[in-house]
Amino acid sequence: MTVTTAPPPSAGSAGAPPESRRQRRRRERLAERDSEIPVELYGLRRGTVTVLTTLAFVFAVFTLIPIVWILINSTKTQANIFETFGFWFASPFEFFHTFGLLFQNVDGYGTYIQWFGNTALYAVLGGGGATVLSALAGYGLARFRFRGSRPAFYMIIAALLVPITALSIPLYLTYAKAHLINSIWGMVLPSMISPIGVYLMRTYADISVPRELLDAARIDGAGELRIFFRVALPLMVPGLLTVLLINVVATWNNYFLPLLIFNVNTKYPLTVGLGLWSDRAVNSGDASLYPMLVMGGLVTIVPLIALFLILQRYWRGGMLLGSIAN
Amino acid sequence: MRASWIHRRDRRGAWFVAPFLLGFLLFMLVPLGYAVYTSLYTYRIIGGTSFTGASNYTQTLENGLFWNGVIRVVIFAAVQIPVMLVIAFFFACVFDLGVAKWGTAFRTIFFIPFAVPAVVGAVMWSFLLEPQFGPFTRLANTLGFANTNFFGPSLILPSIIVIVIWEWTGYNMMILYTALKSVPRDVVEAAILDDTPLWKIIVRIKLPMVRPAVVMLVFLNTIGALQLFTEPQILEYFEQGAISVNYTPSYYIYQTAIAADETNLAAAMAVILAVIIVAISGISLIARRRRKEFA
Repeated sequence: MTVTTAPPPSAGSAGAPPESRRQRRRRERLAERDSEIPVELYGLRRGTVTVLTTLAFVFAVFTLIPIVWILINSTKTQANIFETFGFWFASPFEFFHTFGLLFQNVDGYGTYIQWFGNTALYAVLGGGGATVLSALAGYGLARFRFRGSRPAFYMIIAALLVPITALSIPLYLTYAKAHLINSIWGMVLPSMISPIGVYLMRTYADISVPRELLDAARIDGAGELRIFFRVALPLMVPGLLTVLLINVVATWNNYFLPLLIFNVNTKYPLTVGLGLWSDRAVNSGDASLYPMLVMGGLVTIVPLIALFLILQRYWRGGMLLGSIAN
Repeated sequence: MRASWIHRRDRRGAWFVAPFLLGFLLFMLVPLGYAVYTSLYTYRIIGGTSFTGASNYTQTLENGLFWNGVIRVVIFAAVQIPVMLVIAFFFACVFDLGVAKWGTAFRTIFFIPFAVPAVVGAVMWSFLLEPQFGPFTRLANTLGFANTNFFGPSLILPSIIVIVIWEWTGYNMMILYTALKSVPRDVVEAAILDDTPLWKIIVRIKLPMVRPAVVMLVFLNTIGALQLFTEPQILEYFEQGAISVNYTPSYYIYQTAIAADETNLAAAMAVILAVIIVAISGISLIARRRRKEFA
């Protein structure tokens, strides 16, 4: 808090002492401020800012209503969830009791914590694998021209159009034939195939990995694989993180494919498990599942919201779309 | 000699693409091929599986229930996507111009639902809209709309639209916001010096410059909307009979494959749905290519 003057825009240039995280934040904030046109210049009437802020506030309330509801109701008993006012607390405070139930197989429908582990496993293997395969393929397509490279690229573009549903049913039929129902690889391996990831990595490698650098490394006698890992990959890190984020989230949220291919609850991911609980709670008269369903929903969304808030800088909506659109 | 060296080097590039292509072959092309193959057969309790050619396709194409679902998702898309994009574009502009307070905080809040799996989003909204105890039902009753049933025949589709708008507006806004940020500042400055009113700056300068992003979002959201499945399926758990087996094409395919166990027919339906979606997205792609919006 002692720094009162703005750091020079060239902060971070070679030789300067490494920036602290706070310094970098401040510099980014200032750069952002600098690019904005002062509101007064638009010649707005006085109340306009207030009106627009109010509208944003209204939509923020709409956005937060379910989140606030689930936070409050995770502390309630089954009876209180239905009988008391939804947006305020009611005694008894059952949060820790219900949270504990997530570690047990209460009604024989499955254990929440196991589903959580399954989801994490599928998301890490699927998302991580997708990132590795996309980086390799994207780099290969961006920096090499071999026989079949153009048809391969067009095929990947075409695959962007194939809807997920259209693919999940065929996968289910194929697994039924190949005895892959209830195999975790049936979930993980298709999650690794991400045409959008390859497309993004190709675009990113094209901008960020200079050909001259690769040629220089080749003249120094480095092998292609070594060049990829030592030269190209470090330059592709921001793009890699975006692709990783997209694919982890896609696998974490996937519902249709696991719903089709798993029929034992020990293999379920969170999405299918929670779907099963809502079915059983409502339709099998297993009302004790309601608090667990609420708590389970809360515990499912907290890690992802946290991940997004932490990695916000790497989440580039612009890259996702800008690269395709521009 | 140099040419052949480059040629040999370039051929090595195929090894980088090979792992992906292998997976692509095994987990996309083979299943799709197998689905088409399966769709040409029919299983009967007496006589087993036999080749029936296009019969599953004609059966689907003549099935009013299937088209009923297709029309429903088209109506859904025609309402949900414009409403969502107008809201998303409006707030993207407001935050881009900095004409509302606490823009960064609002942007972060709006984006939160993107981190929520559709299943959990649908479960939360099901509790909120539930016909007997849901806080929103109670609110509607208090306000004088007695016997409001958000899962009833007339309100179920609007309910699903609200849920999907809740889930996706922030994501769309974020993409439009990033696109708006790339509009050159001097263009806007020149307009300001000419005393152009704010709404004109938005409609005449900003909107045309982010048009490619808008078109892309229409296209992505349409593909998503035509595959609508999770939200109606979860709502059906909360209120049996709220939706019919043919409510959306995806849901109908699921019911045909799993509940009715008619996998051959389901395969044909999946192929038809895929063709419809690929045709729509293909047309939009060609249209954009003609206008040189797609590299």
